[in-house]
Amino acid sequence: MANSRYDLVVIGSGPGGYVAAIRASQLEMRVAVVERDRPGGVCLNWGCIPSKALLNSAETMEAIRGAAKEHGIEVGDIRVDFQRVIARSREAADKLSRGVRYLLKKNHVDLYEADAALSGPHTVALKPAPDKTPPEVSMLEAEKILIATGSGERLFPGMKIGDGVMTSREALVHDRLPESLVVIGAGAVGLEFAYFYRAFGVDVTVVELEKQMLPGFDAEIAEELRRAFVKRGVKVMLGHGYRSMEKRGDRWAIALDADGQPATVEAETVLVAVGRVPLSASIGLERAGVEIGRGGFITIDDSFRTSAPSIYAIGDVARTPLLAHKASAEGIAAVEIMAGIREPGFDLLTIAGCIYCEPEVATVGLTEAQARARGIDVKVGKIPFRAIGKAVAVNQAEGFVKLVASRQYSEVIGCQIIGHRATDLISEVVLGRALETTTAEIGRTPHPHPTLSEGIMEAALAAEDEAINF
Amino acid sequence: MSEITMPKLSDTMEEGKIIHWLKHPGDSIRHGEAIAEVETDKADMVLESFDEGVLEEIRLPEGQSAPVGAVIAIMRKPGAEREEPVTAIPTAHEPEEPVTAIPTAREPEEPVTAIPTAREHPAPAEQGNGLATPPPFHPAMSAHPSAAPTAMPAPPTRVVQPEAHPPAPRQVESGDGSKIKASPLARRAAEEAGIDLSAVRGTGPDGRVTKRDIDNFLREQQMFRFRRLVAPREGAPGSREELSSMRKTIAQRMALSKREIPHFYVTVEIDMEETVRFKNSLEATELFDEDVSYNDIIIKATALALSRFTRMNASFENDGISIYPHINIGVAVAVEDGLIVPVIHECERKSLPEIARHAHRLVSKAAQGGFTAEELSGGTFTISNMGMLGIEHFSAVIVPGQAAILAVSAIKDRPVVRNGQIVIGKTMMVTVSCDHRVIDGVVAGRFLQEIKRFLENPASLLVG
Repeated sequence: MANSRYDLVVIGSGPGGYVAAIRASQLEMRVAVVERDRPGGVCLNWGCIPSKALLNSAETMEAIRGAAKEHGIEVGDIRVDFQRVIARSREAADKLSRGVRYLLKKNHVDLYEADAALSGPHTVALKPAPDKTPPEVSMLEAEKILIATGSGERLFPGMKIGDGVMTSREALVHDRLPESLVVIGAGAVGLEFAYFYRAFGVDVTVVELEKQMLPGFDAEIAEELRRAFVKRGVKVMLGHGYRSMEKRGDRWAIALDADGQPATVEAETVLVAVGRVPLSASIGLERAGVEIGRGGFITIDDSFRTSAPSIYAIGDVARTPLLAHKASAEGIAAVEIMAGIREPGFDLLTIAGCIYCEPEVATVGLTEAQARARGIDVKVGKIPFRAIGKAVAVNQAEGFVKLVASRQYSEVIGCQIIGHRATDLISEVVLGRALETTTAEIGRTPHPHPTLSEGIMEAALAAEDEAINF
Repeated sequence: MSEITMPKLSDTMEEGKIIHWLKHPGDSIRHGEAIAEVETDKADMVLESFDEGVLEEIRLPEGQSAPVGAVIAIMRKPGAEREEPVTAIPTAHEPEEPVTAIPTAREPEEPVTAIPTAREHPAPAEQGNGLATPPPFHPAMSAHPSAAPTAMPAPPTRVVQPEAHPPAPRQVESGDGSKIKASPLARRAAEEAGIDLSAVRGTGPDGRVTKRDIDNFLREQQMFRFRRLVAPREGAPGSREELSSMRKTIAQRMALSKREIPHFYVTVEIDMEETVRFKNSLEATELFDEDVSYNDIIIKATALALSRFTRMNASFENDGISIYPHINIGVAVAVEDGLIVPVIHECERKSLPEIARHAHRLVSKAAQGGFTAEELSGGTFTISNMGMLGIEHFSAVIVPGQAAILAVSAIKDRPVVRNGQIVIGKTMMVTVSCDHRVIDGVVAGRFLQEIKRFLENPASLLVG
């Protein structure tokens, strides 16, 4: 690290930042990344990866129970070493974080482990980060700066973490199974943890202000998921707004409001999953002339450029949806636009949303209702998993595939899947959208049999009233 | 229910007047179909629909004007889809043709226009490598229309079957046999709009044509349409006529030019003997695919002279002189009740045959009566040629925003002195009108000398 002058300095090494840095290096920019925590950001360390490791444990648990019931395989007493469950999740995160460190090095990206703050349109000041050795240099100069600081857990006013109150971040390292749990918020994070704890036998209640789970998602999908949760013994309280919480003995009492009717729910532990907020404060944006818009998101244009011409922003700190793969794709796009090899613009409708409980939920593009609200005349193909041979064979017949196509050109404009492996299935439709596919190509592409992916083929055919197996 | 608003069809357009409604309440409208003729400040043009539906209500009657953005009609989205024949094609419409159809007198369905025979018979799927071209769902729909020679939207030739499966993906070949990369959606949209894919510039990876490219292409193709010049309009003695938008613009711009720009004029007589021989030999040898006209030769000579005398390719603005980065030569063309100036862009980079090709394309578009906005804007120098009218000599008024205009008269048999002898030669008068704020007499004179030198030694035009 001889020189502290760079073509590009990236602040944050999450899935947006580290990917952008590597792409920039491939495009022959001299690049540095500043990270105050662990390389890989929330995704690798406190989000996607460790939570998927936990969910894998939950799924294994369900499979073992199912083995006894469905397959005639006798299983003795099931005992859980929950500390091992958590430890395995941390190992996965550690492994991948080391991987990011290696990838940055391999791509000649300098990594500064420090707290970064803008001190001007071309300068980034480095301060020692907690538990880290102070950086060798205190100032980086940059032709361009990319802000990829991501987001943090949101709390309601008056909420305090600790003493049995957690966000997903604490839950990931909480190595004792609670006896009961209230999850506030039925979004992706809340539902994944609800599913996880329920699989290990915890008494789980999910509380949600909106009238459906997964607000904003297709209503049919949300209802199917609610039924699946109720079937698994999760209590679901929709239309219940959070008012306040207080400790009663060793339990928490949550006061709720259902259209003016007060209600209370009690549990040993509370998991707060009411969304995330962009981390745009305390990085010196005002000193560099970077404007912050509604909700604390940094305002960007089509080229990911902020109100300061030399400064760009991507990922959670810039706009919704707050998703790792969106941040990565935006990071690559931003750097390529900077390099002049890509047109401005980014199609958010190719960003899939995935929820990894069982059944899984995966969606891309517009729902039927959203399309109609935009004045698009649509046709919808819907295929239940029970019509897919493989789903029946592997005893995963919950859920359905919904494919939304425009009536005018049969353009695939959206797809919603709830069911086993939905998150792996959706990529076919994402690619289809990226390639501007119509139902004809998906419907007439021979999908291997027997696979769950046949559901997508059949849904495309169903949109044209030509389904064969349903 | 959607509103149809008065579109902004040129940089300077502020309002438009409905000349004719080509569609009437109750008529169904297809994507890309002409619905009205609109008079703008630049030209009469045809308003095409970007949507489908049924014309519900006309808000702006014929003969009345409305500002850009005003609602001029209401369209209803198609309700129950029914199989409908493809209706008359927008590009085939002759503006002069009176619109006679009255709603009550109309047949409930418009007549079916001829559909190319390739459409009517099942055609085998195009044979590729046998892997990438699986047989289509509906063989009758698989044949691609033979590549339309022009970029003009061709008639939508597909019989629309609303509930039918879209055509199968296939490899479409461009005119030169190479495969065109395009998304299935773009292919579908192009086919419905009757666009030849090879005419569309793709902006996707590796030049792949996407739906957005089709949308942009359709927008660019929004044509300015003109009534062809049949004869100059004559007013009856004692009559008075309201100014058309085009006349209004000409009146404003020319008055502005003469009021603000201090014109001066320099004329030179050019011996065209060599150029005549040059042109004849080009014809005889068929050196170029393109026929080269005198006008093309003069454009090329002018472009070369402009590249040496950059002040002639400039504009006077805000008390400064801006030299244009490119040489975009406008060629004045007479149309009914006015004139338009299609522009050949970046002449400094075009060879003589390239200039000829561009000029001919513009000429044929003028004959068809349509130009895109780009083809009518961006001029940096103008040539007005009255040679075909046998004019001895004339001078032209500078187009505001430019520094000079070249008036080209007829090539005539005139006595010339060669080797001390008076002989009959072929000469041509050219006059350049100059903005004295930008150009002084000596520059104008040298500029004309340069054009003269090129035209008297035309072989030099083949270089560069």
